[in-house]
Amino acid sequence: MVVNHFDTRLVKLARKGDQGAFAELVDLYKDKIFHLAYRMLSNRHEAEDIVQETFLRVYKNWNRYDEKQKFSTWIYRIATNLCIDRLRKRKPNYYLDAEMNDQDGLDGYSLIPGDERTPESEYLLSETQQMIHQAIEGLPAKYKSVIILRYLQEMSLQEIGEILDMPVTTVKTRVHRGREFLRKKLEPKMS
Amino acid sequence: MDCKQASSLMHEYFDDDLTHEQVVELKHHLQGCSVCSARFQELEQTEMVLFSTIRHKALSAPDELVDAIMSKIPNQRRQQAWVGWIKKHPALTAAAVFLFVMVFSSLSLWKSDEQLVVKVADLDQVIINGDTVTVPEGSTIAGNLTVENGKAEIYGDVQGNLTVIDGSYYQASTAHISGEIKSIDQALDWIWYRITNTFTEVAYR
Repeated sequence: MVVNHFDTRLVKLARKGDQGAFAELVDLYKDKIFHLAYRMLSNRHEAEDIVQETFLRVYKNWNRYDEKQKFSTWIYRIATNLCIDRLRKRKPNYYLDAEMNDQDGLDGYSLIPGDERTPESEYLLSETQQMIHQAIEGLPAKYKSVIILRYLQEMSLQEIGEILDMPVTTVKTRVHRGREFLRKKLEPKMS
Repeated sequence: MDCKQASSLMHEYFDDDLTHEQVVELKHHLQGCSVCSARFQELEQTEMVLFSTIRHKALSAPDELVDAIMSKIPNQRRQQAWVGWIKKHPALTAAAVFLFVMVFSSLSLWKSDEQLVVKVADLDQVIINGDTVTVPEGSTIAGNLTVENGKAEIYGDVQGNLTVIDGSYYQASTAHISGEIKSIDQALDWIWYRITNTFTEVAYR
């Protein structure tokens, strides 16, 4: 694989401190990481933050990188973990459906600040794309990462298992459940 | 095959995990079951839609991000040459540091004692006058005599070694020294003496 060879050489140079090689790696991977983060978080600014943080971590942790491992697996692992962390922090620790006692008619949903700029407003996305984006946004986090890696980055189940550090059987189950979830969401709109 | 089995086979089908026989089996079931067949179509559509639109290249990170990232990365070029050398030769580095510390600590020890030091078995057998240590005629020292930073004048008996460090000695005709006479002047000799002395001291303890 030509791409892989190229990657390995760049990684070697970048690890030795070659800034040009590192810049090239950033250029090669920034869109992929951005895309991943944007789909995970549905927010452009946060996605940009994730891209920056991912590369800074890569730079700081070169000594932990095992050259036998694929670089893409490693960088995706860093990025997905950062995204999952963000999602976790975002999640309020009360039940959304529970009604508040002191405020009539208010439930947890009304307390979550809305993202004023809807993500779609920044990009020219077709209706179908918007529909899919929303369906994916509604996925529970543990299915979300798997589905995004599977379809957006076209990764094998094996690779996803390596990135998320879980057995392939678990990845499979999550892909299946996620796919069912999306089917139910998309089905009424598609027919 | 029941519908539940068929459902899980469908997912395996989309994962590309089915054998040819399993595909045939699934197909057979789908032909006879309208519920599963509809479900299969929906899944197929979902799959197609996901693969075709989600990887649409409309989303890309702004180019300024590269500069932003590169500016946050510490520029370590300058250090690199010697840091790299040290990282490549850990054993040599350790040896060099050890040698450096050894030499400097020894040198500082050597310089530090300018005072007269006398080591002797029985002190009342010697006379100390200024920086001169005298063993008068008729007196006997039952052991070694060491004089640092001073002169040694021997008229009597020394039943051991006489060592003079950074000084001089005078041996009268009446003197009798049973052991060796050592005179040490230079730093290197002195260090050697220190080291061997430490070892013999440790050995006899």
